Amino acid sequence: MPSLKEIRNRITSVGSTMQITSAMKMVSAAKLKRAQDAITQMRPYAEKLQEILGNLSATLDISDNAYAESRTVNNVLIIAVTSNRGLCGGFNNNIIKRVNHLVNVEYAAENPRVLCLGKKIKDTYKKSKFYYINDEIAPVEDIFSVLSFDNAAVIANDLMKRFVNKEFDKVVVVYNKFVNAATQDVITEQILPIVKNEQENSAATADYIFEPSKQEIVEDLIPKSLKIQLFKALLDSNAAEHGARMTAMHKATDNAKELQKSLKLSYNKARQAAITNEILEIVGGAEALNS
Amino acid sequence: MQLEIITPEVKVFAGEAEAVQLPGLDGLFQVLNGHAPIISALKEGTVKIDLATAFEITEKTSDLIEKDAKDAKIIRVTIKGGVAELTNNKLIVLAE
Repeated sequence: MPSLKEIRNRITSVGSTMQITSAMKMVSAAKLKRAQDAITQMRPYAEKLQEILGNLSATLDISDNAYAESRTVNNVLIIAVTSNRGLCGGFNNNIIKRVNHLVNVEYAAENPRVLCLGKKIKDTYKKSKFYYINDEIAPVEDIFSVLSFDNAAVIANDLMKRFVNKEFDKVVVVYNKFVNAATQDVITEQILPIVKNEQENSAATADYIFEPSKQEIVEDLIPKSLKIQLFKALLDSNAAEHGARMTAMHKATDNAKELQKSLKLSYNKARQAAITNEILEIVGGAEALNS
Repeated sequence: MQLEIITPEVKVFAGEAEAVQLPGLDGLFQVLNGHAPIISALKEGTVKIDLATAFEITEKTSDLIEKDAKDAKIIRVTIKGGVAELTNNKLIVLAE
């Protein structure tokens, strides 16, 4: 049985841990709100772009576009998105596990390389032979410190260029998709070559004037939609991170409360035992004097 | 016509406009009220908007909007490229 003093110290330390975790939970909740707002801001743009693109590709074959060319896969680039910081449950580990699987099993024969966005995956892959970085991307590799569309566009532009130059034959992105504050899904999404999403063609296609021409507009739009796809993955991961941290910290606070409760119980037990002992001693002493 | 200018990060402008000048890939063009449906790719340049009413600066006004020095009804937005779609007298500019 630990001494009274030891238990008291533990109660205090668990209490301060609890304060930290509940503060972190609150901070994450605020950041989650902001991250979700960023997604909501981007959504009208992404939807309109999809709509216009869908409108155009309904009447135009896009499979001969440079970004749609599917060739024998010899070089695969995996864009892995994690957070910069830990303490968010399995958030980063799930990504690392998935990337490990892709590198060692699924794309093992296709010369896989990993582009690391977020410190956690970078720490894991920095020393491995799969680690990939180039001069163009390097300045924005730490993308989560300034998460802006322009920075995401730099990465997307560079990768599109390298795809066209046949440096890579396939580019996939692995990230945590934000479902709700408590749930994240690890998603592996193909970015290049582009996947045509089979959406129902909006029948209400107005009789548009195309300026300069359909073909040129499509060629202009496809890179935009790729940039948006990458940006969306980053925003999703950002929101998912704060959601995951919020949940993890909530659980930690609950656990600390539980622990504090049981510690208090054993503290009081020990205190009572000590008092009982003292009384017994006094009574015993008095008895001895009387007899 | 109704006009909306949106970027991936923020909605820059939404409101009523009389005429909008856009930097099309093949050169500047202007759309007036009641223009036929059009989809156009845009290059880097300035979107010049003739508003129906004088432009007021509010707290939420984006800093991407530039007011004309002489005419309170004219504003300009600089874009780095994009695409514009006009249907049913509603013009949406997806800018970057």
